[in-house]
Amino acid sequence: MTPTSRAPDTPAVELDGVRKRYGDTHAVDDVSLTVARGEFFGLLGPNGAGKTTLVEMMEGLREADSGAISVLGHRPWPRDVELLPRLGVQTQASPFFVRLTAREHLRTVAALYAADPAAVERTLSSVGLTEHAEVRVDDLSGGQRQRLAIAAALVHDPELIFLDEPTAALDPQARRALWDVLRGLKSAGRTIVYTTHHLDEAEALCDRVAIMVHGRITALDTPNQLIAAGSTVTRLVVPAARLSLEDARAIDGVQNATTEDDVVVLETLDAGPVLAAVEKLAGLQGVQTRTASLEDVYLELTGTSQS
Amino acid sequence: MSAFAALSEAGYRAYVRDKTTLFFTFAFPMLFLVVFGLIFSGKDVEQSGQPYINYIAPGVLSWGVANAAVFGVGFVLMQWRRDDLLRLIRMTPTPVSAILASRYVLALAIGVVQSVLFVAVAVLPVFGLSLSGSWPAALPVLVLGITAFLALGVIVGSYARTPEAVAAVANCLMIPMAFLSGSFFPLDAMPSWMQSISWVLPLRYVNEGISTAITGEGSSTDVLVACGGILGFTVVFGAIALKTFRWSDRA
Repeated sequence: MTPTSRAPDTPAVELDGVRKRYGDTHAVDDVSLTVARGEFFGLLGPNGAGKTTLVEMMEGLREADSGAISVLGHRPWPRDVELLPRLGVQTQASPFFVRLTAREHLRTVAALYAADPAAVERTLSSVGLTEHAEVRVDDLSGGQRQRLAIAAALVHDPELIFLDEPTAALDPQARRALWDVLRGLKSAGRTIVYTTHHLDEAEALCDRVAIMVHGRITALDTPNQLIAAGSTVTRLVVPAARLSLEDARAIDGVQNATTEDDVVVLETLDAGPVLAAVEKLAGLQGVQTRTASLEDVYLELTGTSQS
Repeated sequence: MSAFAALSEAGYRAYVRDKTTLFFTFAFPMLFLVVFGLIFSGKDVEQSGQPYINYIAPGVLSWGVANAAVFGVGFVLMQWRRDDLLRLIRMTPTPVSAILASRYVLALAIGVVQSVLFVAVAVLPVFGLSLSGSWPAALPVLVLGITAFLALGVIVGSYARTPEAVAAVANCLMIPMAFLSGSFFPLDAMPSWMQSISWVLPLRYVNEGISTAITGEGSSTDVLVACGGILGFTVVFGAIALKTFRWSDRA
């Protein structure tokens, strides 16, 4: 290894024109992107969009048909034992050594990475599994299994961490607890690449998100920029008892107004003046404004939007 | 702790915690010993004038050890690949040799314990095996035999994708081989063409070597020939095993 390949200014991940096809299907179709060191990068997209294939190519588990992949300055394919200890990988399969306890499993994984054995207890406690350390892996609950799989991805203190839907099987409390773990990793300078279906989570955690559809990246930006560039419609929700549909439609700047149950929903591009008009007509008590979320943008881009 | 030591420890724990497999690994050969031993108790094989137990004990022992080696590694490899555990190991800097070496050490340990228990029962007066002074010569045969059948198990475990497939393929190989190599029935009492065929089977050489060593019938050259034969199979199986080894069913 030349010292230059370890220079911190090399990006964590660099993809250039990466393609992968299975038969006639373009699983990944000309993807180029860069993940900076220390970045929290989200990969969103419907099932079958090619997210897993893309991540597996970054991890070096699959070979790209064409294009260049550089991970921490190394080519991940073929298997590079210099690079592997610097990566942490959690897959949805949550693989475990059968009939071992949670602690024994993690101890084994740590030894496979030649990691510090003291990291085992530290990592168990960081994912909240200390109390369940003596439980056999086969007897852990779904959420506990997932946390143990994440612990196995972190035990050797990797620089770049790949997480595949890490919060999928977690209850809301465990999910929030994991957010703290992930934020902690980020503030410690780790790079995280993760896939998720929780858009609120991506919005809360990610520095940037890429939205992938049919093997292509259709959008890549910070969550705020994506939202700003996407739907600019603001919705005002007013109790129906105080504002009639006709009055609502008559307000200047209202593009559309509909009734939903006991509220009137006004859609506008310029919320300020409309809000002022609503105040005069109905007062502002109980009025809610709803701006676009990442979910609206996502649904628009992935073509599953209802409106 | 090295990757090899960690994998050996994990394998050992998983093995001793699986009481069913543990029981059958040791009880199955014993069961055959008891059945055949009682059927042929006190009888001699006409063609050679040797007591039956001199054929059956080394034969069943060889088969039991070989069977445990094939099934042990076959199941584990299939399971590890199916559960994506091999992918987890692949993402660590652990070399394939550490994985295989850990399974090898386990298979050797299991084979030695199996043999000691088995012989201890076979020498009981009911079965009447008498151990010859040349018995230590059985050790290299045992070690080589386990190596050859472990390599065969790696091939089976790499080829098969389900537990059913491992059991089907391994049984399909091991049961006919046991009969054709004289594990359950003295080869001396079989037609001569069948005796000739048996020389293409690795288990025949293990039988021959162990039988020569523990009964003292035959010379040390016979043990050497048996070892050479097993070594040949080990090289062939080992080469195929390294070729067929796969980290994942998907890639």
